[in-house]
Amino acid sequence: MAVKKPTKINTYEKNIEMFERATKVIPSGLYGHQGPAEGCYIPTSAFPFFSQKAQGSYFWDLDGNKFIDYMCAYGPNVLGYNDPDVDAAAMEQAKIENCVTCPSTKIVEFAELLVDTVNCADWAFMAKNGNDATSGAVLTARAATHRKKIIFVKGYYHGVSAWCQKIDYPGITPEDVCNNLYVDWNDIDGLKKVVEENKGEIAAFIAMPYLHGNFFDNILPAEGYWQQVRDLCTKEGIVLIIDDVRAGFRLDLAGSDHFYGFEADIICFCKALANGWNVSAFCGKDWLKDAASSLSYTGSYWMSAVPFAAGIACINKMKKLNTPKQFREQGIQLADGLKAAAANNGFHLTVSGEPALFYLMLHDDDSLMLHQEWIAECVKRGIFFTNHHNHFMNASLTDDDIKQTIDVAEEAFNVLRKNHPELK
Amino acid sequence: MTDQKTLAYINMYAILGALENLCELAPEAPSLLTNTKPIKIGFEVKGGPSATLTFANGKCRMDQGCSKVDVKLPFSSCEKFNGLIDGTVTPIPSKGFTHINFLLKDFTALTDLLNKYLRPDPADLEDEDFFNISTKIMLGVIGVAISQIANNDEIGKFTASNIVDGNILFSIKDGPAVTIRCKDHHLVTVKCGCDNYRAKMEFRNIKLARDLFDGKVNAVACIGKGYITMQGMISMLDNLNRLLDRVAVYLA
Repeated sequence: MAVKKPTKINTYEKNIEMFERATKVIPSGLYGHQGPAEGCYIPTSAFPFFSQKAQGSYFWDLDGNKFIDYMCAYGPNVLGYNDPDVDAAAMEQAKIENCVTCPSTKIVEFAELLVDTVNCADWAFMAKNGNDATSGAVLTARAATHRKKIIFVKGYYHGVSAWCQKIDYPGITPEDVCNNLYVDWNDIDGLKKVVEENKGEIAAFIAMPYLHGNFFDNILPAEGYWQQVRDLCTKEGIVLIIDDVRAGFRLDLAGSDHFYGFEADIICFCKALANGWNVSAFCGKDWLKDAASSLSYTGSYWMSAVPFAAGIACINKMKKLNTPKQFREQGIQLADGLKAAAANNGFHLTVSGEPALFYLMLHDDDSLMLHQEWIAECVKRGIFFTNHHNHFMNASLTDDDIKQTIDVAEEAFNVLRKNHPELK
Repeated sequence: MTDQKTLAYINMYAILGALENLCELAPEAPSLLTNTKPIKIGFEVKGGPSATLTFANGKCRMDQGCSKVDVKLPFSSCEKFNGLIDGTVTPIPSKGFTHINFLLKDFTALTDLLNKYLRPDPADLEDEDFFNISTKIMLGVIGVAISQIANNDEIGKFTASNIVDGNILFSIKDGPAVTIRCKDHHLVTVKCGCDNYRAKMEFRNIKLARDLFDGKVNAVACIGKGYITMQGMISMLDNLNRLLDRVAVYLA
């Protein structure tokens, strides 16, 4: 009888050494969403901090440990790291020009492609990060309506500018967020109430296509929710902004609003737009085009041609491969395997959200400590999940990768079971 | 961005409340209390907190409210009470003039001693025992201040509105701990650890805790290095960190 060899357990000596070096010259060593203090790496000792190379669905950390990566650089890796077609388009453009006094015509080609691809888009405004896109969308809404208030869904994340942070965050003043109103997800009556209480003052309602919040199962839109929101916004002259930075192009190449059967006024994209090349965009309806053009809004690198060339290649390849279909099918395959691995060991794993952006949560304790322990055992064995963030599918992921992931998940559940004999 | 009412609650329950720990931990504290019978001192702040300190057998206990007391110190406002703590206001008892000697002598000596541990001379911290006692008292002060800010400060209340029910263990490895209990977005600090915590933030040793309290090391980098362990419902700890940020503003 063949005995299965246990998976190698990673160690991170060089990562730790490099992090120590980083803390001397970089605030907190690594800041922001990829920093180990963000709460996605619990315990930090189970996770690598630095990569040395990446290819397809994999990256290798500084100690040479290989990972099947389900974070996909927190979304940008949509076709596979170093995709040959996207990178060739970028390199070819780089030989010609990139950041020049007069922009390349690639900006026009890219905008035309976005308008042709995205259902609600009559125009496209390019920038660099998702935060640039959401901030531009809100500025456009305020410019168009001459109103100041913005409605958010509790549990939201729309970037890091002051307007979309919270009153208790470092560096934020009450004045930064005094025009923010909050409603619960899927609560159309609550939304109507807030609109009624602030009649004629609301510039925009901004939301992701579904609730991605952390520490709870992700929640899809209730039947008819978006259509009712659309009707309300139209009736009250409120700009409906869909922040599709996270989910964009993974559910539907025409936009996640199209996927859920409604039409946004403005939609924001970034992560999956150019397979890691730095570009974002917000696209809108014709009636908002003048407002967008009135903005004092630009940046030194916002019209660089190389990312546009990459974006064009990326969108065309996603269309050719029909990546949303692949993500859904493989996402379901992976989710079913992970849930079965949990059940085989007596645990209860929920895989929520859309399969292309699945969110994992073990429901066997209310502190999430078992969940954190299981994720850590997976990461130590080369499957890069994070504790409390949705994950991402990419087009280079193979069925063998999925099988290996499920095998490791099962092994990690075995370890969890052995570590916790007190659990029935 | 601080307010006097929140500061009064911190001064009452975190600072004066630390006399409990002082009497328990500091070897010189019990001898400062010369009273042979228990004495209860009540502090009543108009528009703010009220509490009673009971001194008996060299120990101290704080309870909320001040109905049955031997000495009563009324304050017409939170600002006046805060003035008592920063030494700019001299209190006038409305009751208990026969115990004025205890107030002027024993109680004053005790608060001076508390000040010595809370705002220590660097030279005193060279002594290991003093260092440990001072840091343990500080942990309690910070732990209690967290709850007072969550319940009173406007920004703190926003933070508390995002905290789910359950216990947060705020601890030093192999050392002291406090439990911050959240129920319906109201926080209560218990000055000891607990087993049934939903989230844990633990400093790897007392030296690190001290350095963090004194602002000598970066907390975020320490999390990355694993010197601070976070476990459990991380959203509770995210919010705890926002409250800790406010503690630094109030206790600066």
